[in-house]
Amino acid sequence: MSDSLSLYIDRRSGLHRLNPLTKLTVAGFCLIAGLSLPGLLSGYVLLIGVLIPLSVWGSVSRAFLGRTWKVVLPFVISVILIQGLLWRGGTPLVAIGPISFKQEGVLFAVTSVGRMLAVVGSFLLLSLSTRPDSLMIGLTQHGFSASVSYIILTTLQIVPRFQAKARQILDAQRARGLETEGNILTRLKALLPLLGPLILSSIIEVEDRAIALEARAFKRSGPKTSLQVLHDSAPQQAARRLMLIAAPLLVILRLVFEVVR
Amino acid sequence: MIEVENLSYTYPTGHQPALRDLSLRIPEGQFCAVVGANGAGKSTLCRALTGFVPHFFRGSLTGSVRVAGLEVARTSLERLVGTVGFVFDDPFNQITGARFTVREEVAYGLENLGVPRDAMQLRVDRALEDTGLADLAERSPYALSGGQQQRLAIAAILAMEPRLLVLDEPTSQLDPVGSRQVLSALERLTEVRKTTVVLVEHKLEWLASRVDRVLLLADGRIVADGSAQEVLTSEAVQENGVRQTRFTQAARLAREAQLAPRNGSLPVTLEEALAFFG
Repeated sequence: MSDSLSLYIDRRSGLHRLNPLTKLTVAGFCLIAGLSLPGLLSGYVLLIGVLIPLSVWGSVSRAFLGRTWKVVLPFVISVILIQGLLWRGGTPLVAIGPISFKQEGVLFAVTSVGRMLAVVGSFLLLSLSTRPDSLMIGLTQHGFSASVSYIILTTLQIVPRFQAKARQILDAQRARGLETEGNILTRLKALLPLLGPLILSSIIEVEDRAIALEARAFKRSGPKTSLQVLHDSAPQQAARRLMLIAAPLLVILRLVFEVVR
Repeated sequence: MIEVENLSYTYPTGHQPALRDLSLRIPEGQFCAVVGANGAGKSTLCRALTGFVPHFFRGSLTGSVRVAGLEVARTSLERLVGTVGFVFDDPFNQITGARFTVREEVAYGLENLGVPRDAMQLRVDRALEDTGLADLAERSPYALSGGQQQRLAIAAILAMEPRLLVLDEPTSQLDPVGSRQVLSALERLTEVRKTTVVLVEHKLEWLASRVDRVLLLADGRIVADGSAQEVLTSEAVQENGVRQTRFTQAARLAREAQLAPRNGSLPVTLEEALAFFG
């Protein structure tokens, strides 16, 4: 069983050493740029010109390309089919009887796939090269809620444990003769004896975990410190500021472009 | 260090008090064990000493609990946690899930307390060393065994350097190997650090040779209080559903069979048993 839902891959790379907030800003900027830049190939340019080189720098290119492809592939197939076949009017590329594949629909699908690649790729790259707790520490140090940060981090770590517990309960109930396989009705009937213990044990766990957190001064107000050192530098801070200014400008330029067109 | 005066407490959903007019004083540095049958009030006493009763569990409380000069009922939990550490039975649920390595998990409480990083590193290293976890510092807390996770829970609390450490059945959910690991770590701690410890534990043979004092609880009251030898060989132990150590049981049987002298005190430790049987 995996220790966490996190996609993080531990490497000693320059990308890994960047401040998590810098990587988050890059991901956010790529998302906005991917959606705002005009042109058929803007998403692909971001992928090939920015994200893939960054993934190579971070020694995570293989995982980056593999995971991006896996996430985007179902979207690619469906968007090309839907847009190609259902585009109203347009120039038919291929026609079989009343069904025709439209050129405009395919071009729109290609643009959408490019944007999707930029959006998914930017956040996958962030996930592969950034420890979730480092990112949350960085955000918390800049005023992000400690409670929300805790919820995000524990979800990443506890969901696999929750799945393991569900499997244990399932095995225990099977050992007592519970039918869990067969038609839909049998499966539905098996749900209640599974959900009962799972929900009850989770409620008990919540109380225990709350006590454990209280015992670690979780609710203490006042400044907090961190064992982890998040490296930062003046160039990184400048780059973050630049991207934070450029991102809304891109959106405005795109809106102006659309109005003028 | 601990002053409990006429403490009575009833849980919000309870029909009768879990603690009844309980009074107790524990001096600084004492290693005190609490024994008793299920429902005797041991866990409630632990919660009252650490402030979780009444702050977390609410309910109705009369009397007073003072720890290190702090009136527990009038001191917030966030202030108490720097003074009182609490470890309970379930090792898994004591892992916060907020950090990804053992070292960072130990540091989590210190981060919340705002301890500067340099001091934090020293305290984390010392806690890992004291609990025998130094070699596992970079592992995921979820990749540890139950015994290691319980030692991690103890390390995380120890790093906060509490003046009082309360442990509520820390080995009850562990296998024999895990239990031995935790108890050995605890033994090291009481030798190295002079923290006041209140321990609820059923492994009487282990307790008998190590603790300064044993409290026997029954029905929310203290029914026996003294050295391990005094309490664990008393009639009160059997009357209140607590088994005696196997050394005491063997000595009693030997006496009944007239194989051992009738006078002299019954043994509770291996050394005492060896002396008893000559």
